[in-house]
Amino acid sequence: MKRFTQIVVIIFIVLGLGSCRPDGVDDKVEYSDLFENVADNIVVPRYAQFQSDLSALEASLNTFDASDVSSLISLQEQFKAAYLSWQSVSVFEFGPAAEYSALLRANCNSFPANISRIEENIEVGDYNLDFPSNYEAKGIPAFDYLLFHTNNNDLLVELSESSRIAYLQDCLDDMQARVDEVVNAWDSYRAVFVGSEGDDQNSSLSLLFNQFLYDFERIKREKLALPAGFASNYGIPLDADTSVVEARFSKMSFQLMDANLASLENIYLGIGNDGLDGVGIFEKLKEYNAQSTVVDGDLAIAIQEQFVICRAAISQFTNDLAFEIVHNISEVQETSNQFQKMVPMIKNDMRSYLSVTVTLTDADGD
Amino acid sequence: MFGSTIRFWAKGWIDSLFIQPDNFFHYYGFEWVKPLGEIGMYAVFVLLIISSIFIAFGLFYRWASVTYFILFTYVELIDITNYLNHYYFISLVALLMCFLPAHRLFSVDVWRRPSIGLNKVPNWTIASIKFQLGLVYFFAGIAKLNYDWLFNAMPMSIWLQAKTHWPIIGDLFAEKWIAYSFSWMGCIFDLTIVFFLLTRRFRAIAYLALVIFHVLTGIMFPIGMFPWIMILATLIFFSDDFHQKLLLFLSSLFKDRIKPLKEDNYVVLHGFKKKLLTAFLLSCMFFQMVFPFRYLLYPGQLFWTEQGYRFSWRVMLMEKAGTAFFYVTNPQTGKRGEVDNSQFLTATQEKMMATQPDLILQYAHIIKQEVELRGLKDPIINAEVYVTLNGSRSKLFIDPKVNLAELEDGLIHKDWILDF
Repeated sequence: MKRFTQIVVIIFIVLGLGSCRPDGVDDKVEYSDLFENVADNIVVPRYAQFQSDLSALEASLNTFDASDVSSLISLQEQFKAAYLSWQSVSVFEFGPAAEYSALLRANCNSFPANISRIEENIEVGDYNLDFPSNYEAKGIPAFDYLLFHTNNNDLLVELSESSRIAYLQDCLDDMQARVDEVVNAWDSYRAVFVGSEGDDQNSSLSLLFNQFLYDFERIKREKLALPAGFASNYGIPLDADTSVVEARFSKMSFQLMDANLASLENIYLGIGNDGLDGVGIFEKLKEYNAQSTVVDGDLAIAIQEQFVICRAAISQFTNDLAFEIVHNISEVQETSNQFQKMVPMIKNDMRSYLSVTVTLTDADGD
Repeated sequence: MFGSTIRFWAKGWIDSLFIQPDNFFHYYGFEWVKPLGEIGMYAVFVLLIISSIFIAFGLFYRWASVTYFILFTYVELIDITNYLNHYYFISLVALLMCFLPAHRLFSVDVWRRPSIGLNKVPNWTIASIKFQLGLVYFFAGIAKLNYDWLFNAMPMSIWLQAKTHWPIIGDLFAEKWIAYSFSWMGCIFDLTIVFFLLTRRFRAIAYLALVIFHVLTGIMFPIGMFPWIMILATLIFFSDDFHQKLLLFLSSLFKDRIKPLKEDNYVVLHGFKKKLLTAFLLSCMFFQMVFPFRYLLYPGQLFWTEQGYRFSWRVMLMEKAGTAFFYVTNPQTGKRGEVDNSQFLTATQEKMMATQPDLILQYAHIIKQEVELRGLKDPIINAEVYVTLNGSRSKLFIDPKVNLAELEDGLIHKDWILDF
């Protein structure tokens, strides 16, 4: 039995060796072409776009003239552009954007806006936008409320008060500081992202896949199912509530949803901000000759088509989501069903082929 | 074991597996096992690390091995979604080690009390470990004797497809014949390796094959420590000569402290103790040989229903993925809402739950409990679960009409699982 002692002892020694486990099989990273395209032609230019849209919003805000309705309209237009371009970066909540000092999703687009909190902050004038309790009182949804919640004439009266403009400026500064930080961090994070190997929890493959899935599930749940009354909160079925739609006051819900889907679609296809088609997840699934288990045939094509179907389902609506929920719930339900159909394509099939472990631990195949 | 525990800690799994989750999935019959909270769980792991060091150095061996076995098994029992065959294996070996005199030579215990030193041990001690190892391989081999594995090279083809980017050999992985040969070789290897290891003549070559096999699987699949543990553990099949030499080499590192025993020294158990131990070991063996076959008692395809799947050395056998949509309906108003799984489960738990019927049912009961806590009595809970097995078409896995909240888990067949 002494042998066993020895064996245990040897386990130590070899565990030392085990840490330098043979991985010299490849020098080139398996997904580096995908990561390079995503980083250089998608992530970086999209952040740059969002950054410049925020700057344009800042310029409009600084020159805002409460006696001139065209000044308000141009501010509103600038807001819309910024909100649309936010949709193209919300999916990148990993690396720099997931740092506690950035947390872009929570800081830029926690909706629905908490109106009473916003009014209270403006009235008291003493607030700290860094507090999580202010997530719903700032960011783009605060603009949505302050720039759209009533007719333009009344808005001009309200906005002639300097405290409201100052609040908007503070909200904007808060976003800009975080976005600048993320943009700067990507300078060095780019190499980490592109050089990442494997598919464990912190690999680029896993981060990108999980955020891709998560962003899609957020569209399905938070942007559609929650206001439409298809969802539950901690298991309690919820009634339809049109006050929780995204962009409640500017009524951009479907435009934003479409922009968000398009942002995911372009990552999937590998289409850069300049419109050029590079290596995306689509190309990888093609290389693997991946087959869909949800519909017949090629997985790469199936997901591509499902994106088209989802966007077409949205485009049929002529009014905003809040209106359609009240007047056209069956079409909204049908749209939700199409979103739902995409989930197993991503969760079952894409995950299997990219062998992304949602698992944080080892698997042994069961 | 020490390495495993450290690795577990370093990867932050203590936090993500035992502290972060709001809800835990239990083993049938072990619903009473609960995690201890943050401080408690870290304390357990500190004890695991200390006891594994003590076992390795042979210090207070008996206490250390019992502590290790109890704590390790406890940790595993907390959440069934963490189940891995090799954790089960470690629990079993740890149980055996509680009874073995593995501290009677080349250990701190002997250094402290030379009188307990042994240089011969009864055959059963080594044989029991050999048996345990052999069983793992052999049953893993039997499990591979199924149609998909042998005649469709599934799921091997899927796994290899994902590796076609490897330089030089990558192209080969796309070839169908490679997938078939990997499948067949894996199966034959598992079925026969233990017998080759038992023969003197083929032992060396068999061990070489084993090392290659495990290193290869270790690189290719996310199976953690398992290959490295097996490579070391199977050294026990080598003759005592080999181990004596190894010991001699190791002891040269501490040569002042260790005096070789002059005369043969060994223990033999007598009477009641012997009978008890024999009965215990035999029943362990019998249990392990029969338990994996319990699936025969259930109708339906094993890989689909997973009734009788666990604790049977079914390692790396299938590629299964699932997406589960749960719905809660208020029985009074008929209002129905989809559940946000991330409000109750971690991503890992959700993934494991979506392919395993018993866990789907447990999750439904977790939802029921949470919903009732929030004031909605007798909710109707349905699930729409799509599962793909070995690349097959994603199919509805369970009856979406059945009210899971009314069902109780049990060992009888779950007739609400749809046919594959």
